[in-house]
Amino acid sequence: MDHVLELKNLNVTYINKERKVMAVRSASLTIDKGDALGLVGESGSGKTTLAMAVLRLLSQAEVTGEAIFRGNNLLTMNNEQLNQIRWTGIAVVFQKAMNSLSAVHRIRTQIEDIYRVHYPKATAEEIAERMKALLRLVNMPERVYGLYPHEMSGGMLQRIAIAIALLHNPQLLIFDEATTALDVVTQGQILHEMVELEKTMDMTRIMITHDMSVVAASCNRVAVMYAGELVEIGPVREVIRTPLHPYTKGLMDAYPSLTGKITALKSIPGSLPDLSKPIIGCPFAARCARKIDKCYTEKPPMVAYDNGRQAACWLAGGNA
Amino acid sequence: MMHTVEQPYISIQNIGKWYPYKNAGRIQLFGAKSHVKAVDNVSLTINRGEILGVIGESGCGKSTLGRLLTRLEDPTFGDVFIGGVSTTAMVKKDNLAFRREVQIVFQNPFDTFTPRDIIQQILLRPLENHRIGSSTAERLEICRKALNSYGLRPVDDILARYPHELSGGQLQRISILRAMLLNPSFIIADEPVSMLDMSVRADIVNMLVDLARVHHAAVVFISHDIALTRYISDNVAVMYLGRIVERGKAEDVLQNPLHPYTQALLSNCTSIDPDANNEIIPIAGEPPTPIDPGPGCYFAPRCIHACDACFREYPSTVEKENGHTAACRLLY
Amino acid sequence: MSVFLAKARHGIASALKDTQLRIGVIAILVLILVMIFRPVLMTVDPYYYGPDILAAPGENGHILGTNKLGQDIYSMLIEGIMVSLQVAVISAMISGILGVLIGGISGYFGGKVDTVVSEIINIFMMLPTFFLILLIIALFGNSILNVMVVIGLTTWPSNAKLMRAQALSLRERTFVKSAIAMGETKIQILLKYIIPNGIFPVVANTTMGMAWAILTEASLSFLGLGDPNVISWGQMIYDGKAYLTSAWWISTFAGLAIVLTVIIFYFLGDGLNHVLNPKYVAGRNK
Repeated sequence: MDHVLELKNLNVTYINKERKVMAVRSASLTIDKGDALGLVGESGSGKTTLAMAVLRLLSQAEVTGEAIFRGNNLLTMNNEQLNQIRWTGIAVVFQKAMNSLSAVHRIRTQIEDIYRVHYPKATAEEIAERMKALLRLVNMPERVYGLYPHEMSGGMLQRIAIAIALLHNPQLLIFDEATTALDVVTQGQILHEMVELEKTMDMTRIMITHDMSVVAASCNRVAVMYAGELVEIGPVREVIRTPLHPYTKGLMDAYPSLTGKITALKSIPGSLPDLSKPIIGCPFAARCARKIDKCYTEKPPMVAYDNGRQAACWLAGGNA
Repeated sequence: MMHTVEQPYISIQNIGKWYPYKNAGRIQLFGAKSHVKAVDNVSLTINRGEILGVIGESGCGKSTLGRLLTRLEDPTFGDVFIGGVSTTAMVKKDNLAFRREVQIVFQNPFDTFTPRDIIQQILLRPLENHRIGSSTAERLEICRKALNSYGLRPVDDILARYPHELSGGQLQRISILRAMLLNPSFIIADEPVSMLDMSVRADIVNMLVDLARVHHAAVVFISHDIALTRYISDNVAVMYLGRIVERGKAEDVLQNPLHPYTQALLSNCTSIDPDANNEIIPIAGEPPTPIDPGPGCYFAPRCIHACDACFREYPSTVEKENGHTAACRLLY
Repeated sequence: MSVFLAKARHGIASALKDTQLRIGVIAILVLILVMIFRPVLMTVDPYYYGPDILAAPGENGHILGTNKLGQDIYSMLIEGIMVSLQVAVISAMISGILGVLIGGISGYFGGKVDTVVSEIINIFMMLPTFFLILLIIALFGNSILNVMVVIGLTTWPSNAKLMRAQALSLRERTFVKSAIAMGETKIQILLKYIIPNGIFPVVANTTMGMAWAILTEASLSFLGLGDPNVISWGQMIYDGKAYLTSAWWISTFAGLAIVLTVIIFYFLGDGLNHVLNPKYVAGRNK
């Protein structure tokens, strides 16, 4: 089966005159049609860097490896090919729509601009038709089409941003912490609306977030990152209920439950390793509760288990 | 539980904070000014050793309430009594004494300390101002002990650092420890972990609870994270547009909510349990700003159960068993 | 005390990584050293009216020539450093202290105080400063002390404006609220939090102001309103005005000295601007 997006050994290094920071190390991941993948990690995990590198939006970074989309490597494309793919093949919804939209233009004007990048001859009526249909899909009244961004709330703007992302029916939609800046209720509503939307539309999506509950509410697969590496991948329910990787387990222990039994909350002791130095062995070893000697000297490879589950841990095999 | 309950330790009585709202372009009738009623007639009681969680969406007034309780802003009306003493009077008579009684932990640990001073100066300053300890050496020892007791080691290294050289988790722990140096009996924690990574939150939260118990302090824990509030709180109060709409024991309010807003709020929250993310109670529209809300129930415009009477008169608070109260006509 | 030294060492070490600042600091240190060692560096007493009138550079041991009174230009230049640095530092200090305190109080305390002070600042900014200075010198006499004080008293508004803007935004920062919650008084907060955190643009502005002060003193002297009893570069230019074509060295070298010094202060000010930029400060050790 053809994957929508396949990452092979992606490495991203930020370079400035003082030091090099290896923000993403050897990331390999596949995303299939219809997947809703949650890419989860805390600060320093590299999750946003990964997505931005794939989209070639990082100016000061060295990116190696492959990111295959529709048979071509995104990382080696020239600008022309890349521009064709942007928005028609892959679209992004960023964290604060307010920051992605011009404050001095009406929504209508901005969307006409965006639309005409790919279809220069489109008429205003065609674009309006398309946009209004999309606004209906995201539960927005048509009249917002003529408003200025500041006349709307954060939740409304975020929904508009989603509608804009859907403009050209992209194959892959990336949400970069798209609901993080919103109220709890608005976030819940938007995530719910998206899941409902997917029942009628074919969508493949990546949700980048630090919040596992967002993933639980809206994704079918999850990939967990730590210190620039992918440590566990698998179906959402199973990873949450029985995490294979000690970091994932530590993360789950840190989440309080809304409705279940109240158990003691635990932090993960220690802190991230220095990303400007090469990491020998498992990046999580120093903070891991179950480490063995091997963890410090040899990096555990990502191993596939049943049910589409993968984990990079020496102890994952027999001891799930 | 040890405390006797003749008089609750903290008594918040009809406190409110109204900001005059200047609406350019509207002719204002004489005397009929508009107000943003950020906090409107809030009354609560809290006992020593009790942790009260305050939840609500943005615009509900919980942060303003936190500022009122710590007198970072003065209330427009109402008062807070601590141990029977009016805080309005306390602040006038002896501001320093009030500051020793009531302390606050802020949301942003990265901005809580001045970037120009090292931690040693930051910690010594309140001790000097409040004349705790009789010499610099003694005060330094107090600081060292405090840092050491909650894992901030090596102590002398941390004391010599600037705030920007420390992590969010470390800074928040120092913030809590600094507040506790004054031995407060009332602590307000305003979203203390929302800017921190998930994996470090537990330590901070547990530390706050631990210290509060040790000092037998009353805690108001303001948060938008309902699951966390459930974990930490004895009691919970739900705010909407400046008013308390529901209050009671944490398990009662969060597992059997009485008020339609609480019910809708809880159903719309994302949960870590994939199976819990199902039944959503719709809330129409956007959270409004508290500009002259009313006259009826503030939540009526968005409530699926609203009837005509709901729009006419603000519902009175009904009490069910166990001190579980809610302001809703449906409970009459 | 040890805390202060530790912080000073920390600050200086990282500050000196900026090239412009390094150049500026080294150059200023050189100037100061020259000023301190002037008796050694001078060839003749600059006040001595020697026998060589209008000697050309190189004649008779006068490296840069002499003026019409027989004073050695080279020695006069070295003597002149003192006046320039004095004017720069003293007027800048008056201007800086006044500006920081007034701007800080106005911005932090707000209310009526702020309204009144802002209007005063506006009035000052409307006045042509140089002409105000001229007027005051004309009225009160042209001693060098007057010059320094007057420059200080007329240039504080720009510092005050900068400090006020900083104070307004710093007022809302969490650490200020935190200090209030800890029971610190308004004065404490002003002196320990507002001013130390807001002073950066003022420091850079003041350094540029030093350059302006030197130029102003020179301009006053050039117009004949300087203090004729002290040797200053401006006075030297004034003296040499009449001899620009015949004995060009009298004015020219003094003029070059002013240009060089002003450039040094600009390097210093610009370098400080880079280094004291709060973003730079915060990210220094990450």
